[in-house]
Amino acid sequence: MNDKPDAASEMSASGPSTSGLGWEEFSREVVDFFASIKLAMFLFIVLAMTATIGTVIQQGERPETYVQEYGEEAYRWFVRLGFTDVYHTWWFTGLLGLLCVNSLTCFHKRFPSVWRSMRQDKVSVSLAFIQGMKQQITLSLSQPKETVAESLVRLFAEKGYKVLAKSDPGEVTVYATKGIMGRVGAHVAHLSATVIVLGGLLGSYYGFSEFGVCLEGQTYHIPRGNFDLRVDKFWIDYHENGSVKSYNSTLTVIDQGAPTMTKTITVNDPLVYKGIWFYQSSYGDAWDQIEAARINIKDKASDKVVATVDLEWNKEKAVEGLPLKMKMTDFVADFAFNSTEKKVFSKTAEHANPAIRLAVDERSTVQSTPWVFYHYPDLFEIKDSAYQFEFIGYQPKKFTGLQIARNPGIMMVWIGCTMLVVGMTLSSLIYHRRLWAKILPGESGVTVHLGGTTHKSQIDFQKEFRKLTEKIQAKTSA
Amino acid sequence: MMRSLFLFDMTFWLYLAALGLYVAYLFAKRPAMQMAPAGHPIENLEDRDGAWATQLGQVATLVTVFGWVLNTMALMTRAFERMEHSGTFAPWSNQFEAMAYVSWAIILGYVLLEFRYRIKAVGAFVVGIGFIAMGAASLLPYRYQTAEPLVPALNSYWIYIHVSVTLTSYAAFAMAGGLGLMYLFKERAVNRGSQSRFYAAFPDLETIDELGYKAIMLGFPLLAFGIILGAMWANYAWGGYWSWDPKETWSLIVWLIYGAYIHARMTRGWEGRKAAIYAIFGFLMVVFCFWGVNFLLSGLHAYA
Repeated sequence: MNDKPDAASEMSASGPSTSGLGWEEFSREVVDFFASIKLAMFLFIVLAMTATIGTVIQQGERPETYVQEYGEEAYRWFVRLGFTDVYHTWWFTGLLGLLCVNSLTCFHKRFPSVWRSMRQDKVSVSLAFIQGMKQQITLSLSQPKETVAESLVRLFAEKGYKVLAKSDPGEVTVYATKGIMGRVGAHVAHLSATVIVLGGLLGSYYGFSEFGVCLEGQTYHIPRGNFDLRVDKFWIDYHENGSVKSYNSTLTVIDQGAPTMTKTITVNDPLVYKGIWFYQSSYGDAWDQIEAARINIKDKASDKVVATVDLEWNKEKAVEGLPLKMKMTDFVADFAFNSTEKKVFSKTAEHANPAIRLAVDERSTVQSTPWVFYHYPDLFEIKDSAYQFEFIGYQPKKFTGLQIARNPGIMMVWIGCTMLVVGMTLSSLIYHRRLWAKILPGESGVTVHLGGTTHKSQIDFQKEFRKLTEKIQAKTSA
Repeated sequence: MMRSLFLFDMTFWLYLAALGLYVAYLFAKRPAMQMAPAGHPIENLEDRDGAWATQLGQVATLVTVFGWVLNTMALMTRAFERMEHSGTFAPWSNQFEAMAYVSWAIILGYVLLEFRYRIKAVGAFVVGIGFIAMGAASLLPYRYQTAEPLVPALNSYWIYIHVSVTLTSYAAFAMAGGLGLMYLFKERAVNRGSQSRFYAAFPDLETIDELGYKAIMLGFPLLAFGIILGAMWANYAWGGYWSWDPKETWSLIVWLIYGAYIHARMTRGWEGRKAAIYAIFGFLMVVFCFWGVNFLLSGLHAYA
């Protein structure tokens, strides 16, 4: 791309037109349109306006929620326009795509001239060119041409300028330039838009993000990574005042049967294995399992509590002093019964109506599997048994909610972000300055026409220009 | 328990005093305005001041600097208090502290601007915004002003850099907004041919315009950096670098608005009045992003 002419007019001058008369003009118009600053401004504003939609209307809710809040007619329009998921609609993505096209075309059109002036710039300019500049001054100095030229070159170089000088018969032209990186920076920032968007697309096509509810001590297979994950422990740390300090899960990766990695993850510190990230995302009480249950055993005849036992999950326990063996086999947090399938299930994940199922063995003769309820102690009775069982307390089993995600586009996004920040910083802190001095023989000594331009930061440049002028006068008169 | 709150209070009163002094400075008597010599449009504005104005201007600067020193001390005290109670020292961990930090950054920016360009008239506008930020912070209920421990999602070293960088960019936009307002005042005076001494202390329109542009040029990359740091943090805490959360989206909207501004400046006709109005509009959007979003929209950023 280095020396490719950026203006189509140069092309038409060098070669014969091949595809009809209007083609070059047309393609130039197209490039001009897509590279235009007006298009960029339009896209920035339209993106800003449309992005507000998703912050006002809740995104990704169930249809009923919208109908309830906005009415049915409005909801139909929301669906038609994609307002329930604005950021993934074809038109929003299209706007982002257009922004990429815009910045790329701008790069294609404008970067070649920046590149050329990085390598070489016009040294010889006309006197009228210098006098037409915003910053310009004419100085009369009493020293010979060569001395003046030399001190100008030295002064500009001292100030960090790159200096070129050209001697023509009768005159010397000195050209100095500084800060071209400011313009390069802008183009780097332009390219970054496309890099970030591509990284985002890569992530959304080849990445995934899932939520997993995991219980302590269990091992889960992660099919996407073809390894297993064991949740060793989950716990919460508290501050002195009782507020939560951190949520922690100790996880062990088991790859091909062997534990390969153990890490305690917290909210800001995920585990990463084979490109898959495990985040501490939430926690709660499991709805289908508990750690332990406390049971009161009542003697039916005397209606007195004869024993209290603590049962562990799925472990049989013989009750001391009584001819009983008990085991807790099931738990539901919110008891419900499906009468067609004859199945007990938990209606919600809330602990609204907790119940456990016991397996009771009495004198090895009476076997029963009753459901006992936390809130309703005497709902059921075991006919042949001499005892009544009351479910009086339990220790819930905590689950840890893990966010499991892989994003193959993330490196690209970070590269794009780095380009953006570096490019923008260069472009706002450094500004491109160019100075020309034409030294002409005058009546006594020489006349110097000094002029300078910048594409921004006019005040600073004005100051610098004034200081330079003063320095030139001081140096050459001494 | 909260020694810092006393210092924040003192800062508030000093900024109020500074604002009053800067306004008084504008109204002080000046000798008739002289025309700037040709070719040197930026003269030393302090030369235009009369005896009263000079005195007032010096006291205003002194009070501002002193207020800023107290603001710094308040933030540092708060950092120590945070260390004791919540295991982090970032003194910008809730809305109150963030406001106090923003006003700190605004005033710092103003003091630097005054020392570099020697324009005191800007103080009446920019110190005003810093004062309003401090005032709004102190209007928050007491329970928002204390150094409660951080929730787990915030408890990370990312808070040091993401929050401070973003807030600094807000301060730069506040500065640009103040300068925009100032531009409109001055322009009105110029259009009416006003010889009022009030405007004699104002720099010429071009300088105000250019300074406002510079402030935005500083804020724009800072905001981009802040948003990106936020994305990196989110990638560690929330399981994805971008989730279109309202705060996130609004910061992007603000960035896009200033992106349009930066590009508009490259085209003819977007300096001066239009740019000034746009800078004020942009600043209002920043205020919404900073305050409005927290109170009006729900989202993951609800805590700050």
